Amino acid sequence: MDASLYLRYGPSLLSGFVVTLWCWMAGTALAMALGLVIAVGRETPLRWPLRGFVEIVRGTPFLVQLYLLYDGGPALGLRLSAMAAGIVALGIYGSAYFAEIFRAGLAAVPPGQVEAAQAIGMAPGAVLRRVRLPAMAVAVTPPLVNMAIILSKETVVLSIITVPELMYQAQTMASDTYAAFETILALAVLYWIMVEGMARLGRAAERRMTAYLA
Amino acid sequence: MTLLSLRGVERRFGATTVLHGVDLDVAEREVVCLIGASGSGKSTLLRCVNFLEPYDAGEVRLAGELVGWREGSHRQRAPAAALRKMRRGIGMVFQQFNLWPHMTARGNVAEPLIQVAGTSRAEAEARADTLLDRVGLLPFADAFPARLSGGQQQRVAIARALALEPRLMLFDEPTSALDPELVGEVLAVMRDLAASGMTMLVVTHEMGFAAHAADRVAFLAGGRIAALGPPREMLREPTEPRLRRFLQTYHERNDF
Repeated sequence: MDASLYLRYGPSLLSGFVVTLWCWMAGTALAMALGLVIAVGRETPLRWPLRGFVEIVRGTPFLVQLYLLYDGGPALGLRLSAMAAGIVALGIYGSAYFAEIFRAGLAAVPPGQVEAAQAIGMAPGAVLRRVRLPAMAVAVTPPLVNMAIILSKETVVLSIITVPELMYQAQTMASDTYAAFETILALAVLYWIMVEGMARLGRAAERRMTAYLA
Repeated sequence: MTLLSLRGVERRFGATTVLHGVDLDVAEREVVCLIGASGSGKSTLLRCVNFLEPYDAGEVRLAGELVGWREGSHRQRAPAAALRKMRRGIGMVFQQFNLWPHMTARGNVAEPLIQVAGTSRAEAEARADTLLDRVGLLPFADAFPARLSGGQQQRVAIARALALEPRLMLFDEPTSALDPELVGEVLAVMRDLAASGMTMLVVTHEMGFAAHAADRVAFLAGGRIAALGPPREMLREPTEPRLRRFLQTYHERNDF
């Protein structure tokens, strides 16, 4: 083990870590937002096209979707930088899974709470915003955190389209130095820090959201 | 003056007919209790009044206006906004309280005012406190429902249903989910409400409440109103055979 390698490659690994974090957070935020829109949209006449979208996205590998967007996009006039393509692809891929989580969460809201809102004449938008979404949020926080963690590990795929994220930087380091062990150790530690941070945030969010049930 | 008028109300679930043409008029300031065995259609009938249950035939009219369906052409829904407007005038209290667990007692009562009447939050909360005081729960205004007993939750639910100043209150077995020692506090609030002149339609198994607070009692059996009259006549000297059997079972269960 040659710890001096970390002095030399530390800055590039850290910059990769920052890029990974950014792609992950932006991609997850996009995926959650899209997922929520899809889940609510499935209660409208758009339910069939949206269901088709979810089935297609879930039924194809992330790498294929990424290639389609980055390499295939220009054929449709869509030119994205590697990082933008990576974030959008993560957003689309994750949205299908988040949509299913939100759909299950909305279905689990006790019908009586919704009826109470309807019975006083609340409009559907207000029922969704004030009653259904808050009730859903409690139920879906654990699976949301779970899915966010899965997405965090999908970011390694972005190295294939040259996004300078953590995996990409580690591969550069490994091919320069042939120091496989040091490289992989650094990777494992940095990814673990990221995922553990997310898990802690998730637990805090869960505690906060269920405080009123105590 | 008649506030609520039901004419030939029918409700079917697939091949099962739950309500077979119910006629009932409720006058302003009148309290009518609906009694009957489970499955007799009491709750379904109550839910037809605010269209939580869309009735399949007949008419439900609140102050002359048809509830839920478009006037004339039956089977065409009234515009959603028209139904919401009508529901503002009908408060409903559920067996399971159905408070919103993520809002405090005050929040639950203020919410209808904010979301439906467009009242400012400050004004809605002040109004909520007045209503909570009326049901004796002002000290618990900041408590979340999970911290309240069943009886307290139901009293908050009554305050919430009163927030929009409805002309008619519907109660769907409001004490059936409560421990026996908590029933009294809820019934007391309901008696006060009745005494204040509120028009009430109450599905209940509390014969004591029906005997003392109701102006009339309707007995449902098999989806029809089998007997209707003043509580004394209905509960003390029943003539309808199914009502006699129903009351006999009730007395046997409460006899010790």
